[in-house]
Amino acid sequence: MSEGEIIIRAEGLTKVYRRTSGGKGFLGLFRRRTEEVRGLTDAGFEIRRGEVVGLLGPNGAGKSTTVKLLTGILTADGGACGVMGRTPWLERRKIAADIGAVFGQRMQLWWDVPVLDSFRLLRDIYSVPEARWKARLDELTDALELGGILQVPMRQLSLGQRMRAELCGSLLHEPSILFLDEPTIGLDAVSKLRLRDFLRAENRERGTTILLTTHDMADMLALCPRVLVLGRGRLLYDGGLDALLRRYDTEHTLRCVFDGGAEPEGLPPSVGVRREGEAWTLTFAPAEIPVGEVLAKLLAAGPVRELTLKEQDTDRLVARMYADLKLT
Amino acid sequence: MNIRAYRTAFAVHARQVSRYRGAALGGMVTQAFFGVMLVALYEALAGEGDLLRETATYVWLQQIFFRAFFSTGGEIYEQIMSGSVCYSLLRPVDLHLWCVCREMAAKIVGVTMRLLPMILIQFVLPESWRMLPPDSPVAFVRFALSLLTGFLVIAQVNMITAAVTMRTLDNKGFSGLINLVMMILAGNIVPLTLAPERLQAVLRWQPFAQMLDAPIRMWLHAGPAGEWALSFGVQLAWLAGLTVFSRCLWGRGIRRIELQGG
Repeated sequence: MSEGEIIIRAEGLTKVYRRTSGGKGFLGLFRRRTEEVRGLTDAGFEIRRGEVVGLLGPNGAGKSTTVKLLTGILTADGGACGVMGRTPWLERRKIAADIGAVFGQRMQLWWDVPVLDSFRLLRDIYSVPEARWKARLDELTDALELGGILQVPMRQLSLGQRMRAELCGSLLHEPSILFLDEPTIGLDAVSKLRLRDFLRAENRERGTTILLTTHDMADMLALCPRVLVLGRGRLLYDGGLDALLRRYDTEHTLRCVFDGGAEPEGLPPSVGVRREGEAWTLTFAPAEIPVGEVLAKLLAAGPVRELTLKEQDTDRLVARMYADLKLT
Repeated sequence: MNIRAYRTAFAVHARQVSRYRGAALGGMVTQAFFGVMLVALYEALAGEGDLLRETATYVWLQQIFFRAFFSTGGEIYEQIMSGSVCYSLLRPVDLHLWCVCREMAAKIVGVTMRLLPMILIQFVLPESWRMLPPDSPVAFVRFALSLLTGFLVIAQVNMITAAVTMRTLDNKGFSGLINLVMMILAGNIVPLTLAPERLQAVLRWQPFAQMLDAPIRMWLHAGPAGEWALSFGVQLAWLAGLTVFSRCLWGRGIRRIELQGG
């Protein structure tokens, strides 16, 4: 899967935001203070054609900054960056045809014209030949279930419909790379699932490279084998999502109800034991004590009526990771 | 350059503006009212005669094309204020030219929608209050060419206002000021033709007179070709100057947004 050529390369990528604000007191009206805020510091990574990579990190970590630098919306203050071999902010128009982008919090299609008109505008902006555009539009309309809303102005659509329309708009010119900045924000469960399926298919069938930021761990798990973790503008981790999660997975939970009043015994002190009415809840790290061992102790204690094993909630896990990396 | 994109931008925005029939009706009522009031006022002040007919024609033409003064506004300007205009940079188009196309679409369609009823009103007015037809067919052709140029001049001023908004991040102050100055210096409130001769020599050549005043003068008088060429030339020169200026301001505003982030 990661056999393709390198399509995005960043080295020492740095962005500093300058915020000006009035100073304190009366004199502050005349003097301006400039405050420097680090958006991204010395980030380096490579992404190959056909990969789906997730950008993970708390708010203000530099995820959107990274996406904006890679799409050429922002100009970097240091470091180098190549998207299909070109520096995005210098050759914005040249890379435009190769990239598509959806920003979950910003609408890019035209607000008060019918969706189809927006798509026509995009066809002409990107000089897509009519036949090709038509074929792609049919395909996307089908996959994203947009059939019923093409004549409706964007502003009258629901959030989920809008997001699907945005996605369609970003893919009409068949870009090699798709940037998604929180594409599932505010979507209901059905819309999220649909969107994930669509993105997976897009990646599999067309080999579209996808770089995605999201706070939704379920999105990450469903889509991104590889993640980049950012915190305070620094790249803290670059590797498999599974490996990352295993590292912080310290809270498997076993919930158990006995027939009769049995009590679990002989468990090591690293296992947390809690009782709520009839139910026992045991918390432990699989790395320290295997699930089987805990289970054996429970079965030995008495007749078990109910037993559920819960993996750690990924949101908690990420919270622990952020805490560990001193990001919160 | 990708002409097709700008053509489609024009067409799509034109269709959009054509849907706002309520706004067109409301505008028309206001403009018809102001037209009647102003003409009545000049009659009361100056009495009937050639001057009144010319002044009435000037007032009516200003009212008919009044819509053209204002920016079409809309989401692009909201985006400028919120900074999210930078997302438009993702698209391989010239944003400035794109916006000018939208402005022109709104002006041309907006004016066209009001045109017929405003002309029909003339037939119910007392004769001395009506507007005169163009001086000659040549005068009309000159007028049409000049009017289109005038619209482009206004569009550039609209773009300058938008560019200033990128800096101030609020469009009310500056656009309120510029609109007031524009209304006065363009001859919408008091016809520039009524100014004293010596003042007119100055007023005629300032940029705001290139909007509607220059075309209206061509409608009223089919003067010698040389005189017309000078007037049209000045219009084109202002258009060129303002275009360069507004593109400059626009480019700087965008660069600021690029550095600052959305």
